[in-house]
Amino acid sequence: MKSIFAFVGKVSLTACLGFSAMGSALAADQTIGALFPLSGPNAVYGDVFMAGSDLAVEHVNADNLLNGKLSIAYEDSQGLPQPAVIGMTKLVNVTNVPYTLSAFTGVSKAISTIGQRNSVVAVNGGGVGPDLAQLGEYFWNVIPLVNLEVRAAVPYLVKERDIKRIVLVYIDDPFGNSILEELESELEKAGGELIDTLSVPTTAQQFSGVAAKVRAAKADAVYVASYGAQQIQIVKQLRDNGVDSLLVTYSGYAVPDAIALPESEGMIFTGQSVDFTSEDPVTQRFVKDFTAKHNREPNAYNVNYYNATRLFALLAQALEAEGKDVTGENLLKKRLETPSFDLVGGTVSFQENGTLLFPIKINTLKAGKTETLKTVTFN
Amino acid sequence: MLALQLAITGLQTGAIYALTAVGFSLIFGSTRIFHFSHGATFIIAAYLFYFVDVSGYGVIPAILAAASGAIVFGLLMYRFIYVPIQRDEGSFFTVFVASFGIGIVVQNVIGMVFGRGYVAVQTSLSKSVELAEGLYVAPLAWIAVLCATVFFAALWYFLRFSTTGMALRALSDNPELVRVFGLNPKFISACAFAIGSLLVVPAAIISGATQGLNPAMGHHVMLISLAATIVGGIGSVPGTLIAGLVLGLAESLALLYVESQWTEAVTFAILFLFILLRPSGLLGRSATH
Amino acid sequence: MEAYLLNLAILISIYSILAVTLNFIMGYAGIYSLAHAVFFGIGAYASSYTALNFSASIFITLPVAMAIGAALSLVLALPALRVRGEYFVAASLGLQVLAVTIFSEWKGVTGGIGGLIGIPPVNIAGLEIYKPGEFIFLTVVTLIVVLVVINRLVHSSFGRSLQAIRDSESAAAAFGKNVPLIKTISVVISAALTAVAGALYASYLAFINVESFMLDTSVLIMAMVIIGGTGTQAGPIVGAALLLLLPSVISYLDFLPQTEIGSIQQIIYGLGMALLMIYRPGGIIGRKKVTSAGGSK
Repeated sequence: MKSIFAFVGKVSLTACLGFSAMGSALAADQTIGALFPLSGPNAVYGDVFMAGSDLAVEHVNADNLLNGKLSIAYEDSQGLPQPAVIGMTKLVNVTNVPYTLSAFTGVSKAISTIGQRNSVVAVNGGGVGPDLAQLGEYFWNVIPLVNLEVRAAVPYLVKERDIKRIVLVYIDDPFGNSILEELESELEKAGGELIDTLSVPTTAQQFSGVAAKVRAAKADAVYVASYGAQQIQIVKQLRDNGVDSLLVTYSGYAVPDAIALPESEGMIFTGQSVDFTSEDPVTQRFVKDFTAKHNREPNAYNVNYYNATRLFALLAQALEAEGKDVTGENLLKKRLETPSFDLVGGTVSFQENGTLLFPIKINTLKAGKTETLKTVTFN
Repeated sequence: MLALQLAITGLQTGAIYALTAVGFSLIFGSTRIFHFSHGATFIIAAYLFYFVDVSGYGVIPAILAAASGAIVFGLLMYRFIYVPIQRDEGSFFTVFVASFGIGIVVQNVIGMVFGRGYVAVQTSLSKSVELAEGLYVAPLAWIAVLCATVFFAALWYFLRFSTTGMALRALSDNPELVRVFGLNPKFISACAFAIGSLLVVPAAIISGATQGLNPAMGHHVMLISLAATIVGGIGSVPGTLIAGLVLGLAESLALLYVESQWTEAVTFAILFLFILLRPSGLLGRSATH
Repeated sequence: MEAYLLNLAILISIYSILAVTLNFIMGYAGIYSLAHAVFFGIGAYASSYTALNFSASIFITLPVAMAIGAALSLVLALPALRVRGEYFVAASLGLQVLAVTIFSEWKGVTGGIGGLIGIPPVNIAGLEIYKPGEFIFLTVVTLIVVLVVINRLVHSSFGRSLQAIRDSESAAAAFGKNVPLIKTISVVISAALTAVAGALYASYLAFINVESFMLDTSVLIMAMVIIGGTGTQAGPIVGAALLLLLPSVISYLDFLPQTEIGSIQQIIYGLGMALLMIYRPGGIIGRKKVTSAGGSK
C-alpha cells in the first residue's frame, strides 16, 4: 500500500515540474489541441486522423511558417461525448489552446458549447452528421457533411442502377438518425422507396437477428450507416447470414480494416473527392510525402486533418505578420476576412455556415481496390 | 419463417450464453465468490485462440492455448485475488470490486497487446447455408449447440459420479462435509474455477468466429451470465442452463416486436421481474430470506 | 492550471455527493445498490429538461429533480424490501441496464446518445453561475448541506433504526420497527439528494448524455465508497477525491505514449481497486472491519 502512495507522490511531483518547465518554454511556440479516439473501439480512426495532422505539423515546422514551433496536444475522446468534454475542458483551461481538431458527430456536438463559451475554434474533419453545420461560428468543418453524400448516392442508385427498394441499418445516435432523415427525403425525391429501417444500439455486436430481418424485407440494396468496428461487423454478419443484395455506405467506411475485409467486395461507398493529380504544390507535396511515409495512398481523412492543421498555420501566420495574438477570436476574424485558402485538393473557400464544399465521388470495391464510378459536383 | 430463423439464431446465442453462465453459476454456486471477471476469461480465451490460429499453428493448438489460458486465469484469480480477500473478510462487495477492477485491467491489456479495434476472424464456418426458402443457418450454429450438449453432458457426469464433483456440489452448503470426504475445500474451490473457466472456452471461440473480437466483448457476456444465474436459481446448474437458453432465445425473438436496442432491456426486465416475483429462480433450491 | 484544479475540485465535490448518498444506504442501511448512477442521471435529465424548456432558476430545477428522483426511487425500494444480498445487487443491476436503455431511447427528453447540449447555467435569483471560480462555491456548499443532512439523519433515532436493520432485519422487526417503511424512506432520501448532484453536474458541463449514467459510473461510485471506507463519514469523500485525481495525474505523465494513456489510466485504476480490496478491505478511512452485508444467509 505504502508503495502506491509513494508512487502517486512521485507522479504528482513530476507533474508539477512538468508544468513549470512548460510555462517558460512556450514563448513563441503554438500548440493546438486535438480530440481524437485514441482508445476504445474507434481507435482505428485516431491513427488515420493523426497521420494527416502530424504530417501537416512536420511541413509547417519545416517551412518555418510560424515564428515558433507548432505542436499538437492530443486528448483521447474515445469517439464518445463524455470523455471528449473532459478532454476539451483540459485543452481549453490548462493547455490554453486557441484551436482544436475534433472528430465524430457526437463528440463535436458535445464540445461545441465549450468552444463557443471560451472562444476556442473547433474544426471537424471526420464527423459527417449534418447538424455539424449548425454548431455556431466557432465550429468549422473541413469535410463535406453526409447529407451531401446521401444526395449524391441516392439519385445514382435509383436512376443509374435501377435500385428502388432500400433497407437502412443505422446506428441509433445523432449521426444514424440524420442519415435516416436524409435517406427518407432523398429517396422520395428520386422515386425510390425506403422499405424498412432497422436501428442498432451503439454497443451491439451481434447482428444475425438484424440480418434475418433484412433478408425478410427482400430489398434491392441495404444502406449501412454506422462507424468504427460496428460498421465492419454489420457488413460481415449481413454477408455471413445470407444477405446478398448490394450494400451501400458512406465515407466512414474508408478505413483500411474495412477495405481489407473480403465481405466488402462489391460494396458501394461515397466519399469526398480530392483530386490528388492536381498540379498545385500543396497537393503534390502532401501526396508525395504521405506516400513515402506511410507506403500507401492518402485517404480523405488524412487530407482533412492535414488541411485542418494547415488552416491553423495559415491563419496564425497571417495574425503573426500583423502582430496580433493568436487567439480563437482573432482566428475566426481572420478566417472570415480571407476569401480562400490553398489546401490539399486545390484552392477552397468556406460556405457561410463554416463548412467547406467538396465534390462527392461514388466508389466501389473491386478485388480489394477502390474504383470510382462517378463524381458528383454540387454548387 | 422469420420467427423460425430468429429462433435458430436465438438457439445459437442461447447455447453460448448457457455455456458462459453455467461456468459462472458453478463458481458462484459452490464458492460464493462473485467472479465478475468471468467476462475477462471470455476475452482471454477468444484472443488466445485467434492469436495462435492466425500465427499458423492450426486450430487444435489454438483451442488448447485458449483452454489453458482460461483455466490459468481462473486459477490465478482464485489464488491471488479471492483467497487473500477471503482470508480477511470475504464480503460480497469487496470481492466484486476487486474482480471488476481486474476485469478492467484485462480488457485494457488485451487492447494494448492485440489492438483496440475490431478483429474479424476469417472462417468458412460462419458462412450461412440456405436450408429452406429464407432459412439460413451457419455451421457454427450446429457446432455451438453440439459443444454445449457435449460439455453439459460431461459436466453432469462429473458432478454426479466423481468424488470431486460431489464435493463441489456440497461445498456451498457445508464445507465441513467436504473435509469429512478427505478433500481440501480450497482444492475443490480451485476445481470450480478451473471447470467454470473451461466452460467459457467454446463460447468464446464460437462468438469470436461469428461476431469478431473486440476487447470490450466480455462485459455483455458477464451481465448475461449473471442474469441467467439468478433467473435459473443460484446454485442450480440445470436452472442456469435453461435460463441461458431462454435469454438467448428471448433476445433474438424480441426482434419480432421491438428494435434491437431494446433487446438487452428485455433480458434485464425478465431478470428484474424474476427477482421480484420468484427470487429462487426457475429451479432454485433455497427460497427468499 | 488554476482553472483545471478548480474544474477537478468541482467534479470531486459532485462525485462526493454521489458517494456520500450511496454510503448512506450502503453503509447504514445495508442496501448495496448498483443503480446509483440511475438517480444521478434522473436528476441531471429532469433539471436540464426543466431548465431548457421552462426555467433555469435553481429554485425550480432542484426541487423538480429531487421530486422526480425521489418518486422513481420507489422502483429501487421495491426489490430492497423483497430480497437481500446478491439478489438485490442483481435487481439493481437490472434496473441500471433498463435505465440506460430508457435514457438512450427516450429521445424527446434525454436527446438519446447525442444527449442534451447547451444546458443553461445555474440561475440563482437572476445570477448566472457557470465560471468554475463561482461554481465551486455552489458545489461545496451543496456538499456541506448534504453532509449535514445525512449526519443528522444517521445520529437520529431514524439512523439507529437503520443500523439495527442493517445488522439484523428480523431483530429490528421484533423490536417493533417498521422495517419496510424505514428502508423505503432511506432509499427515497438518498435518491433525492443524488438527483441534486445530477442537476449540478448537468448545468456545469452544459452537456449530458447517457454515457455519464451507465453501469461504469455506478461501479465507480461504489468503488469510491468502498475504497474510502463504507459506513464512515469522511471515507466516501476521500474515495471520490482519490479516484478522480488518479487519472488526472496519470494524464500528465509525459513519458507515456499518448495513444496508450487511456489504457494505462484504466489499468492503474483497475489494479488499484483490486489491490486496495486485498490489502485494505475496510477502506482507507475504515478502522473497523466491514460487516459482511453481502451474505445471503
